[in-house]
Amino acid sequence: MLALLPQAIVDGILLGGIYLTVAMGFSLAFGVLHVIDFAVGEWIMLGAFAGLGFTKWFHLDPLLSLPVIFAVFATVGWMLQPLLQRVLSGSRGRPVLMGLVFTFGLALAFRGSALTVFGIFTHSLDTVLSQGSLHFSRGSFFLTIPFIRLAGLVYALAVIVALNYLLKKTDFGLAIRAVAQNKEAAGLMGVDIKRTSGAVYGIYVGISAMTGVFIGAIVSLNAGMGPDLALFAFFVVVLAGMGYLSGVPWAAFLLGLIQSFFLIYFNPSYVLLALFTILYAVLLISPTGMFRKGV
Amino acid sequence: MNRSSWWIGGVLVLALGLSVAVGPVMAADEFKIGVITSLSGDLATGGNVTKRGYDLWAKAVNAQGGIEIKGKKYPVRLIYGDDQSQPAQAASAAERLAAQEKVDCILGPYASGTTIAAAPVLEKYKIPMITGSAESPLIWKQKFRYTFGTIPPVNFTGSAAIKVLAALPQGPKTAVIYGTNDTFSKATAEAFQSTAEQVGIKVLRFNILPPKQDMTPLMSAAKVLNPDLIAFGGHDEELINLVKVLTQINFTPKALIMHYGVTEPAFAQALGKNAEQVLGASVWTSSIQTKGAIGWPTSKAYADAAVAEYPKDPADYTQAASSAAGLVFQAALSQLAVAPPLDEAARTKLVEILEKIDLQTFYGRVKFATEGDYYHSNAGLTPLMVQIAGGKEVVVAPAESAQAKLVYPLTPWDKR
Repeated sequence: MLALLPQAIVDGILLGGIYLTVAMGFSLAFGVLHVIDFAVGEWIMLGAFAGLGFTKWFHLDPLLSLPVIFAVFATVGWMLQPLLQRVLSGSRGRPVLMGLVFTFGLALAFRGSALTVFGIFTHSLDTVLSQGSLHFSRGSFFLTIPFIRLAGLVYALAVIVALNYLLKKTDFGLAIRAVAQNKEAAGLMGVDIKRTSGAVYGIYVGISAMTGVFIGAIVSLNAGMGPDLALFAFFVVVLAGMGYLSGVPWAAFLLGLIQSFFLIYFNPSYVLLALFTILYAVLLISPTGMFRKGV
Repeated sequence: MNRSSWWIGGVLVLALGLSVAVGPVMAADEFKIGVITSLSGDLATGGNVTKRGYDLWAKAVNAQGGIEIKGKKYPVRLIYGDDQSQPAQAASAAERLAAQEKVDCILGPYASGTTIAAAPVLEKYKIPMITGSAESPLIWKQKFRYTFGTIPPVNFTGSAAIKVLAALPQGPKTAVIYGTNDTFSKATAEAFQSTAEQVGIKVLRFNILPPKQDMTPLMSAAKVLNPDLIAFGGHDEELINLVKVLTQINFTPKALIMHYGVTEPAFAQALGKNAEQVLGASVWTSSIQTKGAIGWPTSKAYADAAVAEYPKDPADYTQAASSAAGLVFQAALSQLAVAPPLDEAARTKLVEILEKIDLQTFYGRVKFATEGDYYHSNAGLTPLMVQIAGGKEVVVAPAESAQAKLVYPLTPWDKR
């Protein structure tokens, strides 16, 4: 089974790529808005269905829908954010809990509506990259890299590079980081908090929706796919340290690699047990994530 | 208002409440039939398929005015309890339907796990349940007196399919077998495993996975073992994901068998050309020859009625078995000839009638086993093996029901 080692590593990284895209926007939203958005899985689900609709109406490859989906969903997120802001900054007690309840409610409403509108069945997005793979072999070692999973990883890395550029190299990014660090002080320095928060939520929703298209193409999509994704996003973000964006890729790849090795070399029945034992151990030793940089 | 009038008012309200609570049982003018199934959660797809089956039956029987008891017709009313795909919720739905709604009988859940959770509650309240879907052999081994099912257990249907494959001239010699960790899927995988070993197919790997687990690493490992057969027990979404993984890593075994889910129209719709030639096990398709003594006269008549109601999705065996479960209650209630609501004695009598019933329906024969490991499951049917051809399920075995010849081995994914 040693021959499977390269494959196990690559499969783990590719799987990590999927978790990475799910967790990236989620971590951004938490870092800046301080809201744990449990509707993340539903944004992904809605994005996936948007991709499906796009393919059905225009008869084009779903991957071509990515810019459109980003634009549409970013607008929706941007328009929705003031509502969330109202809940979070209201005068009622415990705004953080209210925010959690709000996103839970949002998730339930989206899931229920999707079940009614899109129906109960599982669908699949068919792209030019859906089938086929790169194949290498040398001696008894071999490696298969499916095109669509590779595209998913490339997308994840592209999102990271773009976010990194936005946050570190632009004035707008400076404003975002300022809001994340200290909202009041940023406001006093002339940062428009409402506008910045709205834009961050918009970007997060847009990224999540695009991720939906990839997940629909790599695996499948249905109205009930959200909660599992939200769970993994939460897992990755907690492991990375809540709000610590740079830790997310490592946590996502670690999660992918653990699964891949467990599935190939150990008993697959216990893969979730292994994951959550590791999460528990990490939190026990370092409650602020693997890098001790979370909040 | 002074204090004494508050008191009087309070007592009056209390008295009114009590009189409602303990008032005499009024004669109902309808049969109240509870339905426990998964309308939300992971198994909502299948749950809604059972709902369609039950609704279709209720609509058909009410179109005739209802079930006739001593010259008077009583319509049926379905009262739903969503089990949210969770066993605990199934038990509380059963509790609610029994204690609050006081239903006369119950049409049972989609999934095996939820059925096993609901059954003991119904034993307690002595309410008969027929499930039109659950297939795990574990349900019947527990010998619940009040629980029946119209689909034979999966070890009966699944093993027949493996035997057909093994009997092929160039049939599979090796297999990898996987199942998802839920009551039905695990039972399916175990049935595949034990039958494969029985008929001399070598099982190279057998694993039970958490639900919705990404299977790429596992299939990469399977590719190295290069088995002739991949057998998988799971539900619709997992089956679609499995085929997609296999096409992504471009590994085509000689045969791919997945039991339930293949028969759901969504499977072929989602996968298109890659769904072709995948095998499944079933007990009913719209093509089989049956003669219904009650309700729809033939398989085709049922399929047509189903499409008229739900134009997008043709009926599969679970939907048919769910409608048949309704027909069995209909026949048994007519035979019982007691007007609703049924008391405990009448419901116990109903169970005795169900144990003796031997009914020909559009779905085939329904005759519940009364002893052994298959206690109260339907022993009246012949298992069918189906294959996807032209986007539809086609019966390929046994010979007397076959519509087409079994295509074996699978055409490689990249040559489709």
